[in-house]
Amino acid sequence: MTADWIAGLEAVFQWQVLAFLFAGVVLGAVFGALPGLTATMGIAVLTPVTFWISTEQGLAMLLGIYCGAIPGGGIPAILVNVPGTPASIAASWDGYAMSQQGKAGLALGINALLSSLGQLVSVLFLAVAAFPIASFALRFGPAEYFGLALFGVSLMAGVSAGQVVKGLLAGMLGLALATVGLDPMTAYPRYTMGRPEFLDGISFIPVMIGLFGAGEVLAQIAEKHGKAQQPPAALGRIWPKREEWRRMTPAAAAGGAIGTVVGAIPAAGGDIASVIAWEQARRISKRSDEFGKGSLEGLAAASVACNSVIGGAMTTMLTLGIPGDAPTAVLIGALLIHGVQPGPLMFRNHAPLVYSIVFLLVIASLLMAAIGILGARPLARALRIPDPWLWAGILLFGIVGSYALNNAVVDVWVMLAAGVFGFLCRKAGIPLGPLVLGLILGPMMESNLRRALILSRGDWIGALSRPIVMFFLAATLLSLLWPLVRGRGARRRSER
Amino acid sequence: MNRTNLVTGLLFLAAGVYLAASSFALPPGTADLPGPGFFPRGVGIAMAALAAALLLQPSDAPFRVENAGAILGAVALTVLYLLLWGTGLFAVRTAVFLVLLLKLFGEKWKPSVIVSVILTAAVTLAFGAGLRLTLE
Repeated sequence: MTADWIAGLEAVFQWQVLAFLFAGVVLGAVFGALPGLTATMGIAVLTPVTFWISTEQGLAMLLGIYCGAIPGGGIPAILVNVPGTPASIAASWDGYAMSQQGKAGLALGINALLSSLGQLVSVLFLAVAAFPIASFALRFGPAEYFGLALFGVSLMAGVSAGQVVKGLLAGMLGLALATVGLDPMTAYPRYTMGRPEFLDGISFIPVMIGLFGAGEVLAQIAEKHGKAQQPPAALGRIWPKREEWRRMTPAAAAGGAIGTVVGAIPAAGGDIASVIAWEQARRISKRSDEFGKGSLEGLAAASVACNSVIGGAMTTMLTLGIPGDAPTAVLIGALLIHGVQPGPLMFRNHAPLVYSIVFLLVIASLLMAAIGILGARPLARALRIPDPWLWAGILLFGIVGSYALNNAVVDVWVMLAAGVFGFLCRKAGIPLGPLVLGLILGPMMESNLRRALILSRGDWIGALSRPIVMFFLAATLLSLLWPLVRGRGARRRSER
Repeated sequence: MNRTNLVTGLLFLAAGVYLAASSFALPPGTADLPGPGFFPRGVGIAMAALAAALLLQPSDAPFRVENAGAILGAVALTVLYLLLWGTGLFAVRTAVFLVLLLKLFGEKWKPSVIVSVILTAAVTLAFGAGLRLTLE
C-alpha cells in the first residue's frame, strides 16, 4: 500500500503532469465562467486531446477542468446573475446581491476559497472511504453488479425533474445503443448495419461531444442568447476578514457535508447539492432573513457544497464504476480509452493511479483557489466574448476532436447525429443523463445479468435473491416510486 | 394531448418494437445460457411499454424551436463540411466553414473572418502540429 501511495505521488509530481493540471484548471475556470459552457462539455470536447499524452497527464487535465469549472461558473453568477454552470445557481442568489452592494470582489473571493475548501474536505472523504468501499465491492458477483447498474440507471431516471417515464426511456435508449457492436459474451455482431466501424460499438466520446457540446450549442442558438450584462468595473476587496470567516464556518461545514453526501449519490450533482446546502444553511442561521439578499453564509454554503460533490462523485465512480454526475460519466469514457476500467478492480490493478487522482484533486483545489482569486478580474472580462464565437469554436473542436479519436469521419457523423438528437431531447424535455448512464452501464448490466443467469442455471429467483441484489432492487424500486409519491404529496399540498 | 408526448412516445414505441422484433434475428440462446438476442429483446419490450405509458401522460413540455433557420443552417453547413472532408486544403475549408457559420449567427464580416482564422489556426496547431493528426 505504501509503495502504491509513493508511486501515485511520484506520478503526480512531474512538471508535465502539473502543467496539464494547471492548464486544465484554467480551462475549466474559463469554461465555467462562460455561461452555456459546462464542465461536462469541456471534458467531452477535450478528451480526444488526451490520447496523445500519458494517462496521468490526461487525467490531470480533465480533472483540472472538472474542478475549475464549478467555481468558474460562480463568476458570472456573482457578477451578472447568470450562472455559468447549473451548480452555480445557488451562488447567484446571494453572490449577485453582494455584487449589487459593491462587494463583488468579496463574493468572488468567498466563491473561490470556499469552493476549494469544499473540494479538499470531499477529497478527504474520497481518500478515507474509497478503499473500504472498493474492498467491499470486490465481494460483488455478477448478480450484484447487475443490481448496481440497474440502480444507477433508475436513480438517474428517478431524479429527472418529474420526467420519470422520459428519464427511463432515455435510459433504455442508452442501453439499446450499448448493444451495438460485438456481443460481449459470444462476439456475435449486433446492429452494426454491416459497417466494420461499429463492431467495437458506438464510440462513447463522440456521443458525449455531440450530446453535451454540439447539442448544447444548437440549444443556445435556439434560445438566441441576448447580450450578457457587463460585469461591474471595480470588484473591491477579495479576501474575507476574520469575523466574516467565523460567520461563514457553520454554513460552510453544513455545505461540505451535504455536498459530499449528495455527490456520492449517482446522478445528483452540484446543482442539487448547492440548493440543499443553501436551504439548510438558511435554517440553521441566526440571520436567515439576509439569505437571498447578500448573505455571506448563503454564498458560503452554496460555494462549498457545489465543489464538495467532486469527492463524493469521484468516490462512487472509482469504487463502483458508476458516475456520480455528468462530468464523471464522461471521465469514465476517458479512463476507458486509456485502458483503465473504473470500479473495485481498479484499486487492485491500478492502485497508484487511484492515489494519483487523490493527489491531483488536492493540488487542483489549491490551484483553483489561487486562480479564482488572482484570475477573477481576467475571468470577468471573458464574459464579454460574444456567444457566436463560442458556438463556432465548440462546434469546430467537437468536429476535429471526434475525428481525432480514430482518424475516422464516421465518428464525426456520430457526433453530429448525437448533437441533433441531444438538441431535440432538450426541446422535448427528455433528460440526457440517463441516456449516458445507460450507454456506460449497458455492457456491465447485460454481461453480468447473463453471467448470473448462467451461474444459477437460468433460475431468475436464485440469481436475484441474494441480500445485496435484493437491496439494489429495492433501492431501484424506491428511486422510481419516490418521485411519484413526492409529486402526489406536492399536488395535495397545493390543492390545500 | 400535447404533441410532444405523442411524437416522442410514438418514436420510442417504434424504436422499442424494432429492437424487440430484430432481436429475434439474433441467436436466442437458452434459459440457462442467454444468447445475444436476450438483452436487446428485454430492452426493446421495456422501451415499448414505457413509450405506451408516455402516450397516456399529459405533457408539460411544449415542443417549440425558435431560430430554426439558424439551427438548420448550422447543421447543413456542418454536413457539407463533413462531406468535403478528405478533399484537401483543411485550413481553407475550415476557415470558410467558420466564416459562413458566424455569418449565419449574425456576426459581421470582419470579426467573422478574424475569429475564423484564429480558430482554424488554433485547431491546426493543436491537432495537426501538436498532436500530429492528419487533418486532410
